[in-house]
Amino acid sequence: MYDVYLIGVGGQGLLTIGEVLAEAATRLGMPVHLYPYKGMAQRGGLVRAQLRLGREAAGPNIPPRGADLVLAMEVSEALRAVRFLKPGGEFLLYGEQWLPTAVMLGKAPYPSLEAVLDAVRTAGGHPLYLPPDGCPVDEGGPLPANIYVLGAAVGRTRLGGYIPPEAVEEVLRGWRAAERNLAAFRAGLAAKP
Amino acid sequence: MTRKLLTGNEALALGALHAGIRVAAGYPGTPSTGALEHLLAVAPPEVHVEWSVNEKVALEIAAGAAWAGQRALCTMKMSGLNVASDSLYSVAYSGVVGGLVVYVADDPGVSAGMCEQDSRGFALLADLPLLDPPSVPDAYRLTRLAFDLSEAVGTPVLVRLTTAIAHSSAPVEVGEPLGLPPREPQLLRDIARFTKAGAAICMQQHRDLIARLERAGEWIREAGLNIIALGHRGGLGIIAGGVPVSYLDEGLQFLAPYGLDPEAVSVLRVLAPHPFPDQEVRRLLEHVGVVLVLEELEPHLERSVYVAAQQAGFAGRIVGKLDGTLPRVGEYDVRHVVQGIAKALGLALPADLFTADEGPERLAAPRPITVCPGCPHRGTFIALQRAIRRSGYRRDQVMVTGDIGCTILGMNPPFEVVWNEVAMGASIGLAQGYVHAGVQTPVIATIGDSTFFHAGIPALINAVQYEVPLTVIVMDNGWTAMTGMQFNPGTDAALQPSGNRRVDLARLIPALGVDHFFEVDPFDLDGTTAVIQRALTLPGVKVILARQECAIQAGRRGLRAGRVQVVPEHCNLCRVCILQTGCPAIELGTEAIHIDPALCYGCGLCAQVCQRGAILRAERTFSETGRG
Repeated sequence: MYDVYLIGVGGQGLLTIGEVLAEAATRLGMPVHLYPYKGMAQRGGLVRAQLRLGREAAGPNIPPRGADLVLAMEVSEALRAVRFLKPGGEFLLYGEQWLPTAVMLGKAPYPSLEAVLDAVRTAGGHPLYLPPDGCPVDEGGPLPANIYVLGAAVGRTRLGGYIPPEAVEEVLRGWRAAERNLAAFRAGLAAKP
Repeated sequence: MTRKLLTGNEALALGALHAGIRVAAGYPGTPSTGALEHLLAVAPPEVHVEWSVNEKVALEIAAGAAWAGQRALCTMKMSGLNVASDSLYSVAYSGVVGGLVVYVADDPGVSAGMCEQDSRGFALLADLPLLDPPSVPDAYRLTRLAFDLSEAVGTPVLVRLTTAIAHSSAPVEVGEPLGLPPREPQLLRDIARFTKAGAAICMQQHRDLIARLERAGEWIREAGLNIIALGHRGGLGIIAGGVPVSYLDEGLQFLAPYGLDPEAVSVLRVLAPHPFPDQEVRRLLEHVGVVLVLEELEPHLERSVYVAAQQAGFAGRIVGKLDGTLPRVGEYDVRHVVQGIAKALGLALPADLFTADEGPERLAAPRPITVCPGCPHRGTFIALQRAIRRSGYRRDQVMVTGDIGCTILGMNPPFEVVWNEVAMGASIGLAQGYVHAGVQTPVIATIGDSTFFHAGIPALINAVQYEVPLTVIVMDNGWTAMTGMQFNPGTDAALQPSGNRRVDLARLIPALGVDHFFEVDPFDLDGTTAVIQRALTLPGVKVILARQECAIQAGRRGLRAGRVQVVPEHCNLCRVCILQTGCPAIELGTEAIHIDPALCYGCGLCAQVCQRGAILRAERTFSETGRG
């Protein structure tokens, strides 16, 4: 049994990460439950998803201090997921920053990266930081960052013990822009957070 | 059988399709929308699938098809059930010929910004059977069965999902379609059954309704939908319904290290809560010493368990909401199972078992949502702000009623013009109430196109009849946008399924007899402001149609409203563009603002609010595709 809490903002492709993992698990014959939160999600709004692997009867929600892995794609939003991390769990943070308008106008504070990593350590978690500039660029522009982050999660955390890289690659191969996604995924696998 | 990853909405839709539906009708509403969307995508041409103008019409269409002997599905969110309830209550009295299943989605935890209505209460009110699948695979299986139940008993059947099932994905064992032979439509003339002609007929229908519910209970018992598993005699009995069923195993495993013997626990999983599974509950009560009832939202099962306990002479405790152990608000998770069992058995648990430090979350930057880049509503809201100010009023002197959908974002910064939100179409009725209450300043109602079609038209007719002085702004972006871009009667016919006709609001509204009708382009800030200002000075019912297509939908077809360009040497970083538009495409640079070309739709509102000529707008070029 392995529980993953995903968090980020609309437009980053966070829900796609959950969908790829759920599809890979289904093809592996593994029980899986994916609960995305999208309510009024739009570009820049809060997005989260909860993925539960290996439970025959899985309730949709992960309790506080229950997630084996938190996968966060935005520095400030990451703070909202800290309380769901199991002590001893891994916390993969992709360091992108989406500044709300009030922050941009200097009317509201924005947390520092160090504050986020400290909060993870205080909660008993192992932070793994993935700088946003690590996502490769080809002639078509930057490769899809969400698939890069997915690669890092599979390659660098215990998630890979449940969903091996080959299972994800098989899902990505069926996609339209398969080559670019596979390249992003492999770059993530090789990333060193 | 094939194993497929499906959402709960997709599973429900496939269950209905495999049960042989001929008609499916619904109105979009989170979290139910995905079911009908899936049918629109996968149903074969002989199945009629439609987004209806509102849930009441959708229900009547499905009921008409079922009275003609076909199987039919109707889909809606819980708010929609309230709209459809008048007809549904009446159809329940008549019963059905072909199978009629009404899918309603509840939203505990409020992911979609409405109420935490528990639609199981409607089943009780209307004497209709209700199935409550606790998982995604059950959504497929029980929806298929619901049609058999409906036809076996001759009653409409409600199937209820909550957000956590409707939106979730899980592997589902999908069966083969039933292969129902095509049915010829029947025309049954039966006044005693299909009319409400007199008290004798209505009361006989009421007796029949109660008898059907009884038979539905027997059918459900024979089908074994409510599953009882007995543990040691005299132990704990858990009665669980809905999503909490899916947390039982996790909860029992969780408590094993704290002295819980899973063998001592008896469980009744209630997948069909209405009619109340009396016999199964009695069997459980005769076997156990203490009972825990687990259900989200209202204590519907629990209240009936108290009645059953009284009838069975059960002397043990009943733990749940009514003794204050568990909440009536929000979604449940394993914590509620654990807390309930611990309370029932008096288990000592560490106080900090699930307590996590909430400090980090408080450091996160607030992220209020606003309208998308290029949203035409942005222009309408800024113009509305300006018109109120230029007419000599402060913002807190002018009532602007709000409605459901994207238009409600006018309540948020930077616009903050909309005051309230009630229900579909309510803005226009509320506005009339404020006028009759004696408000002397202008009263304005704001409403989107789909919402206006859904329930705004009768309210506007009412305003015309009583000559109520008010201004209605219909914000027409051509789509039912908030729920994920469904077509509606006003959508361009070329963008609807073939054979559909567009109902043009610019022709419909004047025909209702309003005193003044204006059409404006919300991307023209001065023009829109001037029209609103003028409307506020005129007598009678004024309607302003602010029309411009949703930028997300237009953008998907490669359209743009135009192009804007920053002139860095004119920009002094005064931030007026950001403060007034709140557009997510504008970023504060070090020397000048920057506009993200990937987000910008070229609406030009920022160029119109800039007072320094630092943002230039190219001619609006709607024919231009895919440029920039």
